[in-house]
Amino acid sequence: MGVLVQQLLNVAQLGAVYALIALGYSMVYGIIRLINFAHGDIFMLGGFLGLLIGVHLAWLPVYVMMPLAMVLTALAGVLVERVAYRRLRDANRMSVVITTLGVGIFLENLVRLAVGPETRQIRSGLPTGSVTWLQGHLGVYVTWDKVLIILVSLTLMAVLWLIVNRTLVGTAMRAVADAKDVVPLMGVNLNLIIAGTFAIGSALAAAGGIFYGQAYALDPYMGIDLGWKAFIAAVIGGIGSIEGAVLGSFLLAGVEVTTVAYLSSNLKNGIAFGLLILLLLVWPWGIMGKPAMRKV
Amino acid sequence: MKRVFLLLPFLLVLAGCKPKADEVKIGVSAPLTGDISALGQSTRNAITLVQEECAAGIPLGGKQVKVRFLVEDDENKPEATATVFQKLISQDRVVAIIGSQSSKCSNAGAPIAEAARIPQVTPWSTNPNVTRGRKFIFRACFIDPFQGRVVAQFAIGKLKARTAAVVYDVASDYNKGIAEVFRDEFTRLGGKLVGYETYNTKDTDFSAQLTKIKGANPEVLFLPNYFNEVPLQAQQARKLGLTATLLGGDGWDNPELVKLGGAVMDGAYFSNHYSPDADSPVAKEFIAKYTARFKAVPDAAAALTYDSARLVLRAIGAAGKADPRAIRDALAATSGFQGVTGAISFAGSGDPVKGAVIIRIEKGRFVFDSAVNP
Repeated sequence: MGVLVQQLLNVAQLGAVYALIALGYSMVYGIIRLINFAHGDIFMLGGFLGLLIGVHLAWLPVYVMMPLAMVLTALAGVLVERVAYRRLRDANRMSVVITTLGVGIFLENLVRLAVGPETRQIRSGLPTGSVTWLQGHLGVYVTWDKVLIILVSLTLMAVLWLIVNRTLVGTAMRAVADAKDVVPLMGVNLNLIIAGTFAIGSALAAAGGIFYGQAYALDPYMGIDLGWKAFIAAVIGGIGSIEGAVLGSFLLAGVEVTTVAYLSSNLKNGIAFGLLILLLLVWPWGIMGKPAMRKV
Repeated sequence: MKRVFLLLPFLLVLAGCKPKADEVKIGVSAPLTGDISALGQSTRNAITLVQEECAAGIPLGGKQVKVRFLVEDDENKPEATATVFQKLISQDRVVAIIGSQSSKCSNAGAPIAEAARIPQVTPWSTNPNVTRGRKFIFRACFIDPFQGRVVAQFAIGKLKARTAAVVYDVASDYNKGIAEVFRDEFTRLGGKLVGYETYNTKDTDFSAQLTKIKGANPEVLFLPNYFNEVPLQAQQARKLGLTATLLGGDGWDNPELVKLGGAVMDGAYFSNHYSPDADSPVAKEFIAKYTARFKAVPDAAAALTYDSARLVLRAIGAAGKADPRAIRDALAATSGFQGVTGAISFAGSGDPVKGAVIIRIEKGRFVFDSAVNP
């Protein structure tokens, strides 16, 4: 019983991190049909900005460090969109995909040059130790940082849902997603909405990066693997759908942990990627996605 | 025209047939840049010490001959190592090569040295395949099967452990090899293996594996992995309530281990080639010299590089001439050589018969615990 609950908590923690990245993929794709392969590296950048602010400028506590790092990463995301993607918005798909990959490699090398290739961790003064009540009753070790990661991630996701579904900006975002070419005619600033989407996605990724650096570790190349995984999660859930990205993330984390716990860790990545291929074959639009409508 | 190009290599060989008699060149292949560049620096430092020691030259064929070490950067990449070996052999005409450090790089260089019949001594490559079936390849360190046995015997004998679990990187020969030997030896000695879990290089989340192990609550947890991953594994184990004593191999030997792990690494043990507080006269002198010259404590790679270079110099002296084949024969005949990392003898193979030490981590410092001889 204790082991099962512990594994569920592992799933929750990993799934929360995946979800924070997957949302960025999903939102950007939903609005401008662009798969931003540099998004995993934005996540990495967010983690390192958190490290820079929280450790190297150590006087900032976590509740200041995290919002600050999120804002800085949001700016970086907007900058990337402005410099590298905006001109290519109507270019052919191949150029855009290659540009996003290029931006990713650029960010990896930039960070490696700045901080070196060593593995780092964020120790930002979050409460350490575990929740003793659970330990006493179930033999389950729940550390406070784990609790915080899960709670804050879920809160951020709820806030995002409210922004998209209950505010004017959100309405504009959904309108752009529906008909990109018509919306500007209604007086909506298309560039602003797209920049806003990049900003929100990057800020969430930064939160994910900081949590990841806290629970696991940071290195300049971590965005590649995790970016792929989160992308898979977004596709499984139905890329373009917010609920789908979250669902897909927890599902993928569940599959990974279950594979390791009951089969073998050798199969972990094979099963994760196999799942994606299988899903694309039988259900190309994902669990919460909508089949693309074609005009006849 | 084409024929001329075909002839070119042979012409170059002919041109190189007359080496300068007053200088002996020894090549060094080291990871001066790349992911383990810290190790490349200790390699260079150790070579600098040897170079300074023989500044006056060595007696050879009745006269003093100068020795020159040529240190080349192999970036810890197999393909770059192959290029370095080819350059050292065909262009610089070295009589022997020291290096490389990691097993994957030594494995890339060894076939080239073997084919050219140039003796190679690798300081730090512990993978058994590096020397297997080759006549010109030697190493200054013990091999992984020995290391795996040493740790298993330590767990049973000294720690009185009855149960053990292993978590290792299944994508790397080094980690996989030691894990398998440990598993077999621990079970043979009557211990019970209650967990045997894997992960892949670059993974950072080990909680699913460790949770599974937590259910079995082993007395020792063997982590035969590299210094940049072990601290994460240790921290995650502690966060899940695992109290097992942590054990490891020579892949732990780097200051990064305690920098990243901090107090979590205290009380852990790992097997190593030597300890910085070793008390043999040769080791004491080397450590004092190195520390004074470079303001840093020498790691195992530095000590092994120093031993390798001195092994080669001694072989040249014993051969009485700077001829690669004669040097190879002299190396193979090495017996009872007193190195910083212990006595080295080559008994019919390129692998020395030598002991290991167990190091304990105490308040972030590596402290000598015990010595193990084969």
